[in-house]
Amino acid sequence: MKFRKVSAVVFAATATLSMAACSGSSSGTSSGGSDGSSFEFWSFTGINAKGSAAEYKKIKPNVQIKLTEVGNAQETAQALTTALAGGKVPDLVLIQGDDLPKFVQQPQNFVDLRTMGADKIKGDYLDWVISQPTAKDGSIIGIPTDVGGMAIAYRTDLFKEAGLPTDREEVGKLWPTWDAFIETGKKYTAATGKAFLDNASTSIYSQVVNQGQEKYYDPAGNLVYDKSPQVKAAFDEALKAVAAGITAKQSSFTDGWSAAMKKGDFAVVAAPVWLLGAIRDNAPDTKGKWDIATIPGGSGNWGGSFLAIPKGAKNPKAAWEYIAATQSPQGQLDHFAQARSLPATPSVYKDPKLTSVKDPFFSGAPIGTIYTNSLLGLKPFLIGPDSTTIGTEFGNAIQNVEQGKGDPAKAWDAAVTNIKNAIGG
Amino acid sequence: MTTSIRPAKKALAPSAPVKTTRAGLTEIVAPYAYIAPFFVLFAIFGLIPLLFTFYVALFDWNPIGEHVFVGLDNFTRLLQDGRFWNAARNTVSIWVLSTVPQLLVALVLAHLLNHVRLRFAVLFRMSMLVPYITSVAATAIVFAQMFDRDYGLLNWLLGLVGIGPIDFIQSVAGSHALIAVMITWRWFGYTALLYLASLQAVPRTIYEAAAVDGAGNVRQFLHISIPALRPVIVFTIVTSTIYGLQTFTEPLLIARSAPSTCGPIRQCQTLTLFLFEQGFTQFKFGYAAAIGVALFVMVVAFAALNYFLSTRTRPERA
Repeated sequence: MKFRKVSAVVFAATATLSMAACSGSSSGTSSGGSDGSSFEFWSFTGINAKGSAAEYKKIKPNVQIKLTEVGNAQETAQALTTALAGGKVPDLVLIQGDDLPKFVQQPQNFVDLRTMGADKIKGDYLDWVISQPTAKDGSIIGIPTDVGGMAIAYRTDLFKEAGLPTDREEVGKLWPTWDAFIETGKKYTAATGKAFLDNASTSIYSQVVNQGQEKYYDPAGNLVYDKSPQVKAAFDEALKAVAAGITAKQSSFTDGWSAAMKKGDFAVVAAPVWLLGAIRDNAPDTKGKWDIATIPGGSGNWGGSFLAIPKGAKNPKAAWEYIAATQSPQGQLDHFAQARSLPATPSVYKDPKLTSVKDPFFSGAPIGTIYTNSLLGLKPFLIGPDSTTIGTEFGNAIQNVEQGKGDPAKAWDAAVTNIKNAIGG
Repeated sequence: MTTSIRPAKKALAPSAPVKTTRAGLTEIVAPYAYIAPFFVLFAIFGLIPLLFTFYVALFDWNPIGEHVFVGLDNFTRLLQDGRFWNAARNTVSIWVLSTVPQLLVALVLAHLLNHVRLRFAVLFRMSMLVPYITSVAATAIVFAQMFDRDYGLLNWLLGLVGIGPIDFIQSVAGSHALIAVMITWRWFGYTALLYLASLQAVPRTIYEAAAVDGAGNVRQFLHISIPALRPVIVFTIVTSTIYGLQTFTEPLLIARSAPSTCGPIRQCQTLTLFLFEQGFTQFKFGYAAAIGVALFVMVVAFAALNYFLSTRTRPERA
């Protein structure tokens, strides 16, 4: 009898376990109300999502936001992929621009925000930004929350040592083109014996390639990465900088890059607005030694995020109300004043609230004006399913030459071969 | 299964003869119930995912889009994919570079720690486990910093004796060596303890007799310790092969500029990292599953080879 009891318990336990495991994906459907006064929101860590949610609670005190900071941007996108595949999705999710294309390729997973009223507000945003979450069938799956903008952050103290001008207007005039930028770098390196720029793949290739009208796909969606003059020009420009010996060979966000920034081993870095925070945290001792000048070519963008509502969301209405309230031009302007995330809405670019922001860490540079100016020259171009892969392979080829392992004469062909391999074309 | 429950039945039969059918049923069912938790959990978390992987490998499988049946296309593509063979080469190279020194160091250490006159033996034995209980991620980050080209401790030391900075992480040989050092550092203590445990089962009298006969430390090591350890050595080779083929965290964390390829030219991308790249950064689940199947076949083949060799080289019993 004792045996029987024990075995019964064991059976019960295993049965429960197996049932729990099998029903894991469907058990979630019963939880959470759909009364319109609460919604579930997945965001990234490190961007003060809690603050944004708290702000919203001030306007709408009776709305409950179930906020989850899933992880960094990439981890959030991975979690979203799993959630979409499994069926239990949040009501609102933040997606970083780099991760957006693979979701835009599968718009059936998301609520077409035109049905919620996105058609009426889409004119508020920069055309090349709102084109990114717009799918082939015309549906809009995301609303931009911010953009990166591009500028060159440089060390005034190191420029002075090298005999270069330090005033941000004059520095901007040193490099109307990328060729002039590389020439300035040569002068700096000749005078100081130190590297001018952090690396060529991020600070040159990724910038130049985004300044054209066409990137890896033509407007009809055909792959043109191996024929596009803009891509080739960007690639050659990066190799030119490598050949000139002006780069510190420090790939962005590596330990060496952080250490070099602290030690002043490079004087210049191409910086989107969100990178300013990284410089501030990374090298606090360099406060006041930095300034910000216009990027060669005048325009550029790196980064930016989008809010989307998955198709299976239980509270799409509450989620949309949040988007409409917080991502209006005024909402984005307020957020810039607080958190320095650059608005994607050009109507506020002349607002004194934006133009008056000056950053003491960067010698009082008017970051609102500098960064929004860099956004106005950009053109929309088609981003396809393999854009990220193609960009990574070109960047890797440049890195390989920069690290002294690759032959610059063969780098382009090698990159194209690798891309064909990677995208299975 | 049936052979394993029969002895139990036999053993129970004389003391408690089976009378009612209910009791008989219990006795038949009970052993299965006892082992059920493992097998049920194994089926859920091991077997079913494994079989599902074989299934997914036959598709062009987008996790949030369409699943198109492509038959064996993923496998034919894989066999022609230079990146796959590169990853396979890297994996084997890192495995050899990490396993051989690790087992040798562990053997010698175990022999030394088994010495009778060693003081603080427990302290030494325990401290060897510290690398093993340290988080792999922490190990990888610290080692990557030590081996850094411009600001690393190692290159600073090399610089003192006039050797120019070596870019370990960006070169094929350097990155493999770095990963091998990390794996060796992590596992040598654990392996040494396995050997030590086995050595302690060897009667002291054998060593004493050898010493009386004039055998020195080295001869004792070669002629007593190693033959005694043969089964454990085979076991550690098999386990380190299986772990070695699955090396993942170290390569993911050392090349921060291109983590999922372990550097711009995939110089240290292992098979599992290639699987991760295809599955979770490119979202080609079908192709990633095919890599998983290939890896499975390789592990089985290596394990079979090890088994074959170990049964062949079993020492003759005296």
